[in-house]
Amino acid sequence: MAHKDSPKIGETKTEMLHPMHVPKDELQGNEQRPSLDKILEDLLDFEKLKYCNGCGICTGICPIAKILPEYYNPRILLHSLPLGDEKILKSPQLWLCAWCYRCYRRCPQKLNLPEIFQVVRRYAVESGYSEGFIKALEIISKNIPLPISCSYVCFHPERVIKNQQIVADAIQQAILTSSPEKSKEQPFAKSTKNVAIIGSGPAGMSAAHDLAKKGYSVTVFEALPSAGGMLRRCIPKYRLPKKLVDFDIMRIKDLGVEIKTSTPIDGTQKVKKLLEEGYDAIFVATGAQEDQNFTIQGAELNGVFHALDFLEKANTKNVELLNTVSIIGGGNVAIDSARTALKLGAKDVTILYRRSKEEIPASPWEIKEAKDKGIKIDFLVSPKKILGENGKVTKIECVKMELGEQDATGRRRPIPIQGSEFMMPTDSVIMAIGQSPNTVFLPKTVELTTQKTIVTDPFTLETSSPNIFAGGDAVLGTGTLIEAILAGKQAAFSIDHHLRGIPLDPVDIAENAFGRENNGT
Amino acid sequence: MEPKIQSKPDEELRIGVYVCHCGKNIAGSVDCADVAEYASKLPNVVLSKHNLYTCSDPGQETIKKDIKEHNLNRVVVASCTPRLHEPTFRRTCEEAGLNKYLFEMANIREHCSWVHLYEPEQATAKAKDLVHMAVARSALLEPQEETVVPVTRQTLVIGGGVAGIQAALDLADTGYKVYLVEKQPSIGGKMAQIDKTFPTMDCSICILAPKMSDVGKHPNIELLTNCEVTEVGGYIGNFQVKVQKNPRYITKDCTACGDCTKVCPVEVPNEFEVGLSGRKAIYMPFAQSVPARYIIDAKSCIGLGENTCAKCKEVCGPDAINFSDKAEEIELKVGTIIVATGLDVFDPVSLMEYGYLRFSNIITSLEFERLINAGGPTGGRLVRPSDMNVPKTVVFIQCVGSRSEKKGNPYCSNVCCMNTIKDALLIKEHWPDVKIYVFYIDIRAFGKGFEDLYRRAKEKGVIFIRGLPAEIIEDNKTKNLWLVGENTLEKKIYTVNAAMVILSVGLRPRDDSEKVQQLLRLSKTTDGFFMEAHPKLRPVDTPTGGVFLAGCAEGPKDIKDSVTQASAAAARAGILMAKGSVTVEALTPTMLSDKCMGCGLCARVCPYNAIIVDKEKKLATVIEAACAGCGTCGAECSFNAIQMRHFTDDQIFAQIDAATAKDADKKIIAFCCNWCSYAGADFAGVSRMQYPSSVRIIRTMCSGRISPKFVERAFARGAAAVLVAGCHLNDCHYIDANYQTKRRVEKLWKKMERLGLDKNRLQLAWISAAEGEKFASKIREMQRIVEGATKLEIEKTVQSLAQKKVNVVTEVAKA
Ligand SMILES: Cc1cc2nc3c(=O)[nH]c(=O)nc-3n(C[C@H](O)[C@H](O)[C@H](O)COP(=O)(O)OP(=O)(O)OC[C@H]3O[C@@H](n4cnc5c(N)ncnc54)[C@H](O)[C@@H]3O)c2cc1C
Ligand SMILES: Cc1cc2nc3c(=O)[nH]c(=O)nc-3n(C[C@H](O)[C@H](O)[C@H](O)COP(=O)(O)OP(=O)(O)OC[C@H]3O[C@@H](n4cnc5c(N)ncnc54)[C@H](O)[C@@H]3O)c2cc1C
Ligand code: SF4
Ligand code: SF4
Ligand code: SF4
Repeated sequence: MAHKDSPKIGETKTEMLHPMHVPKDELQGNEQRPSLDKILEDLLDFEKLKYCNGCGICTGICPIAKILPEYYNPRILLHSLPLGDEKILKSPQLWLCAWCYRCYRRCPQKLNLPEIFQVVRRYAVESGYSEGFIKALEIISKNIPLPISCSYVCFHPERVIKNQQIVADAIQQAILTSSPEKSKEQPFAKSTKNVAIIGSGPAGMSAAHDLAKKGYSVTVFEALPSAGGMLRRCIPKYRLPKKLVDFDIMRIKDLGVEIKTSTPIDGTQKVKKLLEEGYDAIFVATGAQEDQNFTIQGAELNGVFHALDFLEKANTKNVELLNTVSIIGGGNVAIDSARTALKLGAKDVTILYRRSKEEIPASPWEIKEAKDKGIKIDFLVSPKKILGENGKVTKIECVKMELGEQDATGRRRPIPIQGSEFMMPTDSVIMAIGQSPNTVFLPKTVELTTQKTIVTDPFTLETSSPNIFAGGDAVLGTGTLIEAILAGKQAAFSIDHHLRGIPLDPVDIAENAFGRENNGT
Repeated sequence: MEPKIQSKPDEELRIGVYVCHCGKNIAGSVDCADVAEYASKLPNVVLSKHNLYTCSDPGQETIKKDIKEHNLNRVVVASCTPRLHEPTFRRTCEEAGLNKYLFEMANIREHCSWVHLYEPEQATAKAKDLVHMAVARSALLEPQEETVVPVTRQTLVIGGGVAGIQAALDLADTGYKVYLVEKQPSIGGKMAQIDKTFPTMDCSICILAPKMSDVGKHPNIELLTNCEVTEVGGYIGNFQVKVQKNPRYITKDCTACGDCTKVCPVEVPNEFEVGLSGRKAIYMPFAQSVPARYIIDAKSCIGLGENTCAKCKEVCGPDAINFSDKAEEIELKVGTIIVATGLDVFDPVSLMEYGYLRFSNIITSLEFERLINAGGPTGGRLVRPSDMNVPKTVVFIQCVGSRSEKKGNPYCSNVCCMNTIKDALLIKEHWPDVKIYVFYIDIRAFGKGFEDLYRRAKEKGVIFIRGLPAEIIEDNKTKNLWLVGENTLEKKIYTVNAAMVILSVGLRPRDDSEKVQQLLRLSKTTDGFFMEAHPKLRPVDTPTGGVFLAGCAEGPKDIKDSVTQASAAAARAGILMAKGSVTVEALTPTMLSDKCMGCGLCARVCPYNAIIVDKEKKLATVIEAACAGCGTCGAECSFNAIQMRHFTDDQIFAQIDAATAKDADKKIIAFCCNWCSYAGADFAGVSRMQYPSSVRIIRTMCSGRISPKFVERAFARGAAAVLVAGCHLNDCHYIDANYQTKRRVEKLWKKMERLGLDKNRLQLAWISAAEGEKFASKIREMQRIVEGATKLEIEKTVQSLAQKKVNVVTEVAKA
C-alpha cells in the first residue's frame, strides 16, 4: 500500500533527516549542563519525593503499560533513574509516557511521574541522545493505531525538543519506515464475520484497526462529514494539524476498513437494522458529543458559547470574540477553550473553577502552559448568573466557594459562601463544564447509568444487550485519547473472542497483551 | 518578694568556659580550640578550655576541680542543647559548691555544628557568638533557691485500654491510689474487640478480661467509666483535676441480668461490633464489660426527658434504673498523670479507589476481628456481607491509610502486617480451602516470633503478592471483586477475582486527642501522636513534668509494647511519688515594690491568675504556688517593676548585645520559647537540616516573655531581622500566653509601619517541637530578608529606635 497522499509533516523542510541522527547542536542548550546525579538530586529536593514505595499502583493503572507491556513499565523506569545509568537516556521507555497523569493521581506518595520523566527527557535531549525518542516513535507507530495524533496529543516530544521541525521530521520518518507494507507481517486469515462500528473517533478507529488486522470486515459509521471524532472536531488545530488526522485515518482505511461518513446511526431502528443486515457484532464508540447543560440565568445571551461548539467552530471557521473572555469549568476542554480564545485575539482570558487547585481535573502541565500564556485561573469561584445589556453579555455575577464534605467522586463538595457575591465584567462566556454522551438511539436493552453513559462489563466491554459492545468516552463520560485507544483495542480483542466463540476471562485480558500486533490469531 | 539568695554584690566575676568537641559532632565543623581561645579573651573569663566530652566523668571532674582551684563563680559550657545536659552540668556545679543557677550553656551542637555541617568557618564564627552571648548572660546570673513541693501520692490514668489498665494495676499494686478515667462505659479499649493476638495467637479477651476484673476489684483503684477529664490545673506533684461523670442512668444495684434489653424497643448500631450488629438503647457494651453494669444511651433512649417509655424500669428486678441521673463533677488531687488514650483506626472511605462502603464485600480489618470472633455477630462464622456465604477467595490489602503522602498517614502503622498474617492463619485454621491473597508493599515482621508466624502463613498456602491493587472493580452480578495491579516482583499485571476484600487499615491518633493535648499542654509529633520528652532516653516522659505516656497514644504499637510502656510509665510516676517531693525551678517573678505602680497590667495577662494587685498600696504580688514562670507579666510591665528570675531583662539584653556586637546587619536574632520553637530548632539539629548560619537564638521559657523592648533592642543594635517564635496558638505550655506574643508582635508591626520601616524584617512563627523543617525553612526564608535589607534601611531603623532612650546598657555591650 503506497502512501501517495502522505502529507509532509514539516511544512517547510522537504529533505528527510537520517532517522538515527538528530543534530546535537539543534538540541543542546548553550549553558553548562548539570550532571544526571545533580538533576536527580534537585528532583528529589524540589518534588519532595520522599520515596517510591514500589507499590506498583502506577504501572497497574497506566494505559501504556497495558497497551505496550513489553516496552513500558513506569515503576521500573522510575526505579532505574537513581542508578544514574546513561543507558536510560537512550531508552525508548523514557518517551512512552502518555501524560495521562493517572499514576500521579493515584500514587500514594504523590510522585509526579510524567513530569519527572520530562526532566530526564530534557536531559537526554540536552546530552544529544535522540535514539530513545526515535525508537519510541517506531514502537508507537507499530503498536498504536493513530500514531501521529497520539504523538502530538499524548506523548508530547515537542515539550522538550524545542525545534519543532525536528520533531515533525522524526515523526514522519519513523512512521514511513514502519508503515505496514514495509514491515514483514504475516498476511492475516480472512474471516467471514462482519463488525459494525458506530463512531470514528479514536475508540472506534482503534477497534477497526485491530479487527481489520484480525481479518474481519469492518464498517465504521460516522455522523459527521469526516472521520476522526474529537481529534477532528474539537481538539484545536494548533495542537493537532488536521492533515495529520487524515494520515492516521488513511492508514486504517488502507487495512480495508470502510468508513461511511455523514451516516448517523441515530435511531433504535437503525441499530436493529445493522444486526439484521448481517453485522455479527456492533461496537458503540460514539463518544461524548454534547456540552453538559448548565441552567444559569443569561445563558441565552449573545456572547455565551458552549465549549465543544466553540472549539468546533474555531477549527473550521473564524469565531469573533471580544476582549474579555470568561471560561467556566476546570477540565482540559476549559483550558483548550481558553488558549483558543487567546489565539483568536482575546486580551483577557480567565478560567473560573468552583473547587480548589487540588481538585482541578485539567492536567497540571496544561495548566502550567496556560498560565505561562497569560491565562488567569480563579479557584473557588462559581457563576450565579450572566448579565447583559441589549441581549449581549456584559458581566457575570460570581460567588466565592469553600470546600465541604467529600462527595461521591471523593472530591470535596464546593459550597457557596453566603454574601461573597461579586461582579466580573466580561464580553464572552464559554461554558466548559463537561461533556455527555448521547445514547438515546440505543435499544432499551442496553443499560445506561444515570449520567447516560453505557454500562459494560469492565473487561469484555459487552453491554447488557447481546452482540453490542461499547467503549471510549461513551462509557467513561470523559476520558483521554489513550484511554479511548485502549478501549478500542480491548473491544477488538473481546469481539474477536466472542465471534470465535472462545470464552474470555478477565485474567486473559489483563495478562494477554492485546496491544501486541497479530496476537494469537 | 525579694530573691532568697543574694549574690555577694562586690564579688569579682570569675567565669570558666568549657568548649566541648562532642567527639566529632561539634569539632567536625566547629574549630573548638579557636572558640576556646576566643572565649578566653572575653571580659571576666578567667579560664577557657576545650575538651573531647565535657559531659563525661573526667569532663565533669575538670569543672569541679576548676571551680575549687580557680574560684570560679560562673560556669559556661558550650556543647549540646540545654534541654539535654543542663541538669547534668547544674549538678556538677552544685557538687562543687556553686549555685546551679550560676551555670549557663551555649548550644553549639543542635543550633550550630549540626545545622552548618558544610560551612566550618561560619559555624566557628557562630559558635563564638553563641559563647559570647552565654558569657555575657552568665555575668548577670544570680544564685537562686528552688522551692521544694510535696508530691501527692495519687495518680490519674486517662484511658482504660490495655495500656491504661496495666499502668493502673502496677501503681495500685505498688500501693498508690489510682483514678482510672475511661470515656466509654467499659474499660478494655481496642484489645477487647480483637479476636486473637499475634504473634502467639492467644485469645485476646481471655487474657484481657482477668486484668479488667482486677481493675474493677482493686482496693487502690477508683474506676471512673463514662467519665471525661475536663480541667487540669496545677503542676508536677500537685495537679487539680476536674472529671465529668456522665450519667449512666443505672445504679450500682444492677445485677446484669439483662431483662431490660429484652423489652427495650430501640435498636441502634453496636459500636463494639463496629456496626456489624445492633444493640438496644439500654445495653451492656460487651459480655466481659467492667464494670459489669448496664447503661442507657441517652442519645437513643426514648424514655428520658419528656417521653416516658420506661419499659425497662418496669421489668428491672432490683430497681436499678434511675432516669433522673445527672452528670456530676468530681475533683481529684493527683501528683502524677498517665495518658493512655490509645488510637483510632483509619477510615478508608476517603480512598475512593478501594470502594469501601460502595462495594458490599469490602470490609476493614477491625470489622474482620468481630466477624471472626466467636462472640461476634456471626458467632465466628466468616461470611461475606452480600450473601452471608463463606467466601472462596479472600484478599487482604496492606498499608491502607499508612505509608502514604496523599491520603491517610505517612508512617507505618506497625501492627497491620502481623495482624493480617494472624487473620489469614485464623481463616486457614477454620476454612483451609479458602484461597487467601495478601497484596503488600513490604511485610514488616520485625518482632520476636513474628518471622515464625509469617513462615507459618506461607506454609499454610497464603499467597503473598508484592504490589498493591491499582483498581478494584465490582462484578455487578456476583458481587465479587476484581483487583488489578502490578505484581512488582514478576513485573506483570495481575487480575485477581475475590469474593471478599479486607482492607488492612492503619492506626491513627484519636480524633479527640487534641483536647487531652491542650488540657495537659502536651506536644504532638508531626504524625499527630503525643511527643515524648526524649525519643531515646525519656521515651515515656512528656515535656510537662509529672505527665507520662503509655500505649498507642504515643505512637502505633502492638499490645506487648503498649503493656511494656505502661509499666515503664507506672515506674516513672512511681519514682516521683516514692520520693514524695520535687523541686521546682526558680523562674517566678520578683516584683520590685519601688517601681510597681499597681496598674494591674501584669495581672491582666497572667494566664494563671497568679498576680494580685493591691490598688491602694499600688502594689502587685505574685502567688508563688500558682505561678508557672512563663514571664508574660514581665514582658507586659512598662515600669520595669517585674524581674523574672533567671530570665531578667538585663540578661536578655546582654545576650542581644553580644549577638549584635559584630556584623549585626547580617544577622537574625531569634527569640524562641523553650518548649516548642527552641525544641523545634533542636530537632532541626538532630535531623541535620541545614540552614543559613546567620541566626542567633535566645531562649525564653515562653514566647510570652518576649518583651517588645527586646525586639526593639535587637533592631536598634542593627540586626537585619528578628524572629519571634512560639508554640502554636492553643498549644502554649502556659495556657494562652502566646496570644500576648501575637498581640505584641502585631503592635510592633504597626509601629514599624508608622516609623516607615520594613515590617517584614520582624517575623512571627509558630513552630512546634516536631517542626524542625519548619524552623529550618523559616530561617532560609528569612535569609532572603536579611539579604534584601539595605544598609539604609538598617541605619534608619537604628536611628528611629535609638531615639528612644535605652535604659540598660550592659558592660558587655560596650565590650
Ligand atoms: C477539546 C478537547 C481536547 C482534548 N484534549 C485531549 C488531550 O489533549 N489529550 C487526550 O488524551 N485527550 C484529549 N481529549 C479527549 C479525547 O479527545 C477523547 O477522550 C477521545 O477523543 C474519545 O474518543 P471516542 O472515540 O470515545 O469518542 P470521540 O472522539 O468523541 O468520537 C466519537 C465519534 O462518534 C461520532 N458519533 C457520535 N454519535 C454518532 C451516531 N449516533 N452515529 C454515528 N456517529 C456518531 C461522533 O461524531 C464522533 O466522530 C480532548 C477532548 C476535547 C473535547
Ligand atoms: C484491627 C486491629 C488488630 C490488632 N491486632 C493486634 C494483635 O493481634 N496483637 C497485638 O499485639 N496488637 C494488635 N493490635 C494493636 C492493639 O490493639 C493496640 O496495641 C492496643 O489496643 C493499644 O492499647 P491502648 O491502651 O494504648 O489503646 P486503646 O486500646 O485504644 O485504649 C484506649 C482507651 O482510652 C480511652 N480514651 C481515649 N480517650 C480518652 C479520654 N479523653 N478520656 C478517657 N478515656 C479515653 C478509649 O475509650 C479506650 O478505651 C491491633 C489493632 C487493630 C486496630
Ligand atoms: S505508584 Fe508511586 S509509590 Fe507506587 S510504585 Fe508507582 S511511583 Fe512508586
Ligand atoms: S502519566 Fe499515564 S502514561 Fe505516563 S506513566 Fe503515568 S499512567 Fe503511564
Ligand atoms: S504571667 Fe507567668 S510568670 Fe507572671 S505571674 Fe503569671 S504565670 Fe507567673
